[in-house]
Amino acid sequence: MRYLLTSLLFFLASCASYQQRNNFEKQEVLDVEITNPYFSDTSKDYVYKAKIDFYDKSFGGLFIVKKIAEAHHRVVFTTEMGAKIFDFSFHNDEFKVNYVLDEMNKKILLNILEKDFRVLVHENEKVISKAVKKGSELFETEIVNKKYYYLLNGGSLNKITRVNNGKEKVQFLFSKIGDASAKNIQILHKNIKLTINLKSIN
Amino acid sequence: MVSAIHAQTKMTDAEALLLKEKVKSQAAKTNTITSNFVQYKHLDFLSNDIVTSGNLAFKNPDLVKWEYVKPFVYSVIFKNENLYINDEGKKSDVNLSSSKLFKQLNKLLVNSVKGDMFDEKEFDISYFNQEAISEVHFTPINKKISKYIKAFHIQFNTQGDVIEIKMIEPSDDYTRIVFSNRTINNPLSDAVFAH
Repeated sequence: MRYLLTSLLFFLASCASYQQRNNFEKQEVLDVEITNPYFSDTSKDYVYKAKIDFYDKSFGGLFIVKKIAEAHHRVVFTTEMGAKIFDFSFHNDEFKVNYVLDEMNKKILLNILEKDFRVLVHENEKVISKAVKKGSELFETEIVNKKYYYLLNGGSLNKITRVNNGKEKVQFLFSKIGDASAKNIQILHKNIKLTINLKSIN
Repeated sequence: MVSAIHAQTKMTDAEALLLKEKVKSQAAKTNTITSNFVQYKHLDFLSNDIVTSGNLAFKNPDLVKWEYVKPFVYSVIFKNENLYINDEGKKSDVNLSSSKLFKQLNKLLVNSVKGDMFDEKEFDISYFNQEAISEVHFTPINKKISKYIKAFHIQFNTQGDVIEIKMIEPSDDYTRIVFSNRTINNPLSDAVFAH
């Protein structure tokens, strides 16, 4: 009986939404958009010192983002000495590989990077639901059929989480925020050993 | 843009031969080099080049330390087919012996520091004058190399010292390195190249 009760509770808990499980209270939303402002200025060159840890390998370099036009970004990674590792374009839902080093030209890896960087540069998306908790707001949205939650504290975007079946898959953490830019950005994967650390240098 | 204002003229064969001899003899008597550098990474879509700066140390025959100081601290030492990296205190190394291509690219980088790349089996070479400065364009013949670097443009002063290196990618984006305070044959301890 106790076992049954426990499994029932467990079942109910896993049915609860990501928002409820994090003790957020749902609110009504009507036609609202959520905005990620961190790569939204076409006049800025966004340059970060990057560290990518992928399983037992570690790569350093420069991570460069440029907003070319509305819904159009260029994302480039070079070594410190300037050699290009990859060069991607995001234009609306399109993804184009302008260049990738042969050693990195693996479909599975490119898919992961495409998904991660698309979220990073994606600016506006329709909100599906909203929940609140003491000064924090959690917005549910979808980017190319994947579910994401945007966490805003005191009005500024601190975290984006990709959630699948109620489980956190990838976290995007934004800190040292000011002037519509995030000086520190971390992308943490929960199901593969991939971490991307970005520190602004300009 | 500056080079567009100062017109470049092609050297005569005699001038080219003279420059080549001068650079080769200068390189032959160079045991050490220390220099400051400013690196400009040009990507066509950016509003401004990415500027980083630091120090270079070279010791004959093939020890190079490339050290960035601004806006981050990072150094890489080229030594015996290895790259020794110190990334803000975090040390790592990369062995290049398994990759012939990376060994070749590395050798080119080391040679370009001295400017002595006058190997006509490896490059199509053309010579230009730009006022008192000589500029030599080295275009790799080997397709495996030219996939990474379309051309090296190296500028020499009247003494035959390298004052600027520009590495141009197939996309025409480039990395330009400008040297200053270059000193030759000052004693340089091996400790400089210790990891």
